[in-house]
Amino acid sequence: MSEEKKNLNPQVASPVSSSDNIGKGKRHMGLKAKTIAGNTIIYVILVAMTVIWLFPFVCILFQSFEVDHTNMTGNILPVKWGFDNYIRLFTSTDFETGGFGRWYVNTLVISLATAVIQTIIVLCMSYTLSRLRFKGRKFLMNFMLVLGMFPGMLTMIILYRVLADLNLIKQNAIPGLILVYVASSGMGYYVSKGFFDTVPKSLDEAARVDGATRAQVLIKVILPLSKPIVIYTLLTAFMGPWGDFVFASYIAFSTSAGMNVAVGLQSLIATPSAMSANYTMFCAGGVLVAIPITVLFLFLQKYYVEGVTGGAVKG
Amino acid sequence: MASVKLTEVKKVYQGNVVAVHNFNLDIKDKEFIVFVGPSGCGKSTTLRMIAGLEEISEGTVEIDGEVVNDLQPKDRYVSMVFQNYALYPHLTVFENMAFPLRLDRNYRVFPLNEKEREAIQKKIDSGKLNEKQLEEAKEALEKGKRVRGFPQEEIYKRVTNAAEILGITPYLTRKPKALSGGQRQRVAIGRAMVKDCKVFLMDEPLSNLDAKLRNQMRAEIILLRKRIDTTFIYVTHDQTEAMTLGDRIVIMKDGFIMQVGSPTQVFDSPNNLFVAEFIGAPKMNIVSSQLVKEGNKYFVTPFGSKIEVDGDKGAKLLEKGIETRDILLGFRPEHAVLASKPGPNTIKVTLLVNEMMGSELHLHLLTDDNTQLIVRVPTIQLTDKEREEMVAGKELYITFEGKVMHFFDPETEISLLCEENSPSKQNIEALKEAAQVK
Ligand SMILES: Nc1ncnc2c1ncn2[C@@H]1O[C@H](COP(=O)(O)OP(=O)(O)OP(=O)(O)O)[C@@H](O)[C@H]1O
Ligand SMILES: [Mg+2]
Repeated sequence: MSEEKKNLNPQVASPVSSSDNIGKGKRHMGLKAKTIAGNTIIYVILVAMTVIWLFPFVCILFQSFEVDHTNMTGNILPVKWGFDNYIRLFTSTDFETGGFGRWYVNTLVISLATAVIQTIIVLCMSYTLSRLRFKGRKFLMNFMLVLGMFPGMLTMIILYRVLADLNLIKQNAIPGLILVYVASSGMGYYVSKGFFDTVPKSLDEAARVDGATRAQVLIKVILPLSKPIVIYTLLTAFMGPWGDFVFASYIAFSTSAGMNVAVGLQSLIATPSAMSANYTMFCAGGVLVAIPITVLFLFLQKYYVEGVTGGAVKG
Repeated sequence: MASVKLTEVKKVYQGNVVAVHNFNLDIKDKEFIVFVGPSGCGKSTTLRMIAGLEEISEGTVEIDGEVVNDLQPKDRYVSMVFQNYALYPHLTVFENMAFPLRLDRNYRVFPLNEKEREAIQKKIDSGKLNEKQLEEAKEALEKGKRVRGFPQEEIYKRVTNAAEILGITPYLTRKPKALSGGQRQRVAIGRAMVKDCKVFLMDEPLSNLDAKLRNQMRAEIILLRKRIDTTFIYVTHDQTEAMTLGDRIVIMKDGFIMQVGSPTQVFDSPNNLFVAEFIGAPKMNIVSSQLVKEGNKYFVTPFGSKIEVDGDKGAKLLEKGIETRDILLGFRPEHAVLASKPGPNTIKVTLLVNEMMGSELHLHLLTDDNTQLIVRVPTIQLTDKEREEMVAGKELYITFEGKVMHFFDPETEISLLCEENSPSKQNIEALKEAAQVK
């Protein structure tokens, strides 16, 4: 990839820099002016889009520092700055059991467990589909692809019934949710299988002759060569449950102990009166939810991009 | 170190592609066997079936007397060098070579080093051991330690040793992508060398190297073979490699074995036209001719000449009771000679191209009925004047020696001197049939 870029750059630059011909001086300037004009327009548009996109986030950030929470002021900047909302989130006795801390831990447990289990399942599945040849492999792949096109919401009611029978709802919602998130994860094999396909098969063969079992081939050869895709899989698996609202809300079924942060925060502002009382606290919660994801992305975005685009280049 | 035996091995790929037919071969312990043949003839497939990377459709493969059809590659104890090297890109050269050793979980006995010896001695002296432990400790002192897998120091010893032999010591800490093709090839060989294997497999290990390096590595493989002294199976499509490396050569075509024999055997007495043309460069001249029996003597009559078949060949023809018949006559370019003047045993030809190869000339010739021939003439046999006169269009007379000709049946393309029940003869017939079905 990076080599391609290197090769491209001189080509792009050459019409501008090839000013060895004196007669072309004027055109040369024109080209430069054009480039500047074009870039200006592009940057103006990009900046405008960024402002629009970031505006709500900035508002939430500012509101979370508003100390005077009794009335929704309509200001963007807080009237009085302070960390009251954050403190209140963890100490307030207004809402039941444990409160925000409990929800946060719930979500962390669900997301981490899902990330680990789902990643293991997806990677094993992808390796199998990429390397082993068995009867029905093509069918299985197509079947899962088609199945994946149906929205997950369709299964909601039946899932609720099953989980209710297993007593994995309300205060037991956490294992129930992990089960739901992990259950169909094998179907997400597509990107990582595409990536594994680009790792030469002769490496597998060499490793197997060298004494490796299939599992060792995966762990010692394929995975180290597929770091971006492992990280991509972990990240997506972590993020899904982290921000999920729909499944989480009906499985927790308004039991505070079984809620994740999204559902918990929503319960803070469920009624108009609660809304006006807790709005700034809600904003503080939102900021706290965003922190881990933002940090993860800052550190891992390089791999994430490689992962998303890597699967597309099939060797 | 082990023998390898393939019995009626057949490989059918998906979609009924038969890549290998009826493959029978007995490879002796410590033998160097070369599979050679044109592209797509099934050499790699056969090798991969021995390694366990490809399922065996029919027949059995035995290593060391044990049928290995259902064994995983790791349980067959073979080493393999791949054509594209297949080095692990994320590991250093050292770790690449140590890889098979680190995976090995077998129990072995290794000699103790000084420290371990002292430690055990101390334990014994302390008198705290019970009887069983005492016995074990004494045994360890005597024979060495029994451990699972290779200890670090053994891995280090083996890898550095192999690196020394292959001249890659300076690169041990590099990643493969920072190596040249030749260096990578050495690492691949090193990785195969360090582990204890029964059979050493190589699939066209030199084909990605340039000509000069290839010659050098070929010589090194001969040395390597002396050093690791195990059973080798080597795949190549280059007949020179096959001739120089192999104790025996297996020549294949379209999944059939055409001939198995020592380099001398396949060069001097090819069983069939394919082998005759495949082995030797430039390739053997083949012309239609007649084999004439006069009394107890045989003659061939290419292009109106009459050349006597002498030496062993005549006697063998007589023994087989062969009568006058049409044949394909083969003679090698180096066995033809320029004649100074026309005679009953000469063929008149016109020079088309004169290739100066240094020590010899390759003369491309055209006979009166438009058949092309190639003749190799050592440069020193010609005077400077004669060499200057060798220009296109010149008329020449050639003849060849009677004891080095080959006779093939024009229909079956099998050598007239081929043994009646030779397995390769059956294969050639099967190949013909298969071709006809297509
Ligand atoms: N996976 C496969 N599926 C179907 N046919 C295959 C497969 N692999 C090889 N073949 C076919 O089997 C035959 C033998 O292939 P093989 O790779 O053994 O040839 P080879 O002698 O090693 O040739 P080369 O010198 O080009 O490496 C070929 O005709 C090839 O097309
Ligand atoms: Mg091959």
